[in-house]
Amino acid sequence: MRVGIMSFAHVHAEGFVGNLRAAPGVELVGFSDDDAERGARFAEAFGLRHLARHEDLIAEGVDAVVVCAENARRRELVEMAAAAGVHVLCEKPIEATLADAEAMRDACEAAGVTFMTAFPMRFDASVRAVKAALERGELGALVAVNGINHSEIPKAHRAWFADRELAGGGAVMDHTVHLTDLLRWMTGSEVVEVYAEVGNPFYPGEVDVDTAGLVTLTFANGVFAAVDCSWSRPTSYPRWGHLKMELIGERGGLSVDAFSQALTGFARSLPRNPTWIGWGADPNQAMIEAFLAAAAEGREPPVTWNDGYEALRVALACYDSAAAGQPVRLTRD
Amino acid sequence: MRVGIVGAGSMGRAHAAGWRAAGAELVGVTSKTGISAKALAEAHGATAFADLDGLMAEVDVVDLCVPSDLHHPMTLRAAAAGKHVVCEKPIALSLAHAEEMIDACERAGVRLFVAHVLRFFPQYRTAAEAVRAGHLGNLGVMRFKRVSAPPRAGQASWFADESRSGGMICDLMVHDFDYAAMLAGPVRRVFARSLRAAHPDSPRDYALVTLGFESGAMALVEGGWAYPAGVFRTGFDLAGSDGLIEWDSESSESIRRYLLPTGPGEAAEVGLPLTVMAEDPYTTEIKHVHDALVHDRPFAVTPQEAATALRIGLAARASLRSGRSVDPAEVA
Repeated sequence: MRVGIMSFAHVHAEGFVGNLRAAPGVELVGFSDDDAERGARFAEAFGLRHLARHEDLIAEGVDAVVVCAENARRRELVEMAAAAGVHVLCEKPIEATLADAEAMRDACEAAGVTFMTAFPMRFDASVRAVKAALERGELGALVAVNGINHSEIPKAHRAWFADRELAGGGAVMDHTVHLTDLLRWMTGSEVVEVYAEVGNPFYPGEVDVDTAGLVTLTFANGVFAAVDCSWSRPTSYPRWGHLKMELIGERGGLSVDAFSQALTGFARSLPRNPTWIGWGADPNQAMIEAFLAAAAEGREPPVTWNDGYEALRVALACYDSAAAGQPVRLTRD
Repeated sequence: MRVGIVGAGSMGRAHAAGWRAAGAELVGVTSKTGISAKALAEAHGATAFADLDGLMAEVDVVDLCVPSDLHHPMTLRAAAAGKHVVCEKPIALSLAHAEEMIDACERAGVRLFVAHVLRFFPQYRTAAEAVRAGHLGNLGVMRFKRVSAPPRAGQASWFADESRSGGMICDLMVHDFDYAAMLAGPVRRVFARSLRAAHPDSPRDYALVTLGFESGAMALVEGGWAYPAGVFRTGFDLAGSDGLIEWDSESSESIRRYLLPTGPGEAAEVGLPLTVMAEDPYTTEIKHVHDALVHDRPFAVTPQEAATALRIGLAARASLRSGRSVDPAEVA
């Protein structure tokens, strides 16, 4: 299968290079990026072919692409890929607005190509073990989850994460979607209500997007959950941040720290002192391979467009709730 | 300073040790059944009194370590008798009662201390000092955890009765509400979800309460009577514009025991995970109270602050009932 990466705007693109090279039966054709400086830099860093225009990558005859553009630029690239019959793995949140997300679905459905939302944490070994424990009934009925997905501000890596136009928001757009997706997946239930405190206490005057969010989700089955999506870790933190969940069920509690499998390293050459050096399996590898298998076999991908859409709805509802100072209901047809 | 303790449960015992360490004269103890009062009085060479009036006649300070619904009537009696009052948290179960207690003590010219002991836990104190020193800049997102087992049946069963304890939110989470408000100032929005709200008959409870502060800071307070016996996890995470402080009870345990069972078929003992401290925080607290009373210095926790913590708890409970966010200022 011939695969390309559309845009290196998203930081995850860097990891995907290694994932695609390690995936069996994949020929990584190259990547497209209309930012010439960024293109040259990553071409050099990864020994990877850089194409200056996205159309050029599609013209190479790729079978599938991973779309790593800025949130608000994904629709254009997804539509371009779909029109050429190319399957799409799309970064999260899948777009900045619901209308753009819906247009992406329409384009992929019309072209009959696979669209998968890149939610790698569904493929994380610890998260999967928790889901299995829930399915075995270890906790009894799930009652509540206290979720943490706080991190440093990602703008040192890519400035657009804190650009309202390109990202559609800040910390809430960046981090609410991961836990929302895991919770939907684990509960098998939809979010019916969202409450959020949203603000910019961490970088006022420096960025004009939200840098903090405390979200409460209520699911149709009665489960309630908190999601901390804040950019509250300092840039001196030993790693980008955390993904943790504290689950409370009928039969007690269970906690998961998905990135706890790390060494603590102290060295002048390390990027931070200390640096937490993860040694757990990379969930992105399993995610990439699941996407390629679904695309090759024409099966529904394990994470669908709708999964990406529902998570985006929740993120956008956070802003509505914060503006109203009250919970907002989410309704579905 | 002559002190009398009312109630000889776990708080009565902790306070008794504190008064002794402070150098106060622990004159007597009284309790509902009298049996526990006798044991506690004997342990400290004090007298067991049959009732509150008998005890009050002999002391300068009345220390109320009784179920929370008794804070209000007993404080009024003590104030009327001209005695200083030390009272366990929460200050009361309603704001009207809290205000009445504060007024009664002011009118009687006696002092009122509400025992928000968290302020005296060294890790919470150290963190508060770091915040005050400006290490964190302006506070942004604060997280608090306090999850234990449900109250046991038996003598302490009044905890489970919301009409006597205020429930898990007003009894347990009020610690963190007080601490959060002390750090970040007035709260303008409270939103809560809880296990009990959905399952009123459950012996367990678990709540996630979001606080929005006037300053723009926010806090997620997690509280629970949800774990098996013997588990008590606490923690805080304070993130500001210039820095971050993390602490949790599990990772800072200085001693861990891995004791083999002593007999066949016997399970290893499970105890409360209280970290080793040079001084019991209850003793630190009571020493402070003693010192403030003897030297007429201000208390580290004012009754108004205790009422504010209760107000936040009541706002959380109002949010559970209405499903809306609640401004604590509008709680009756």
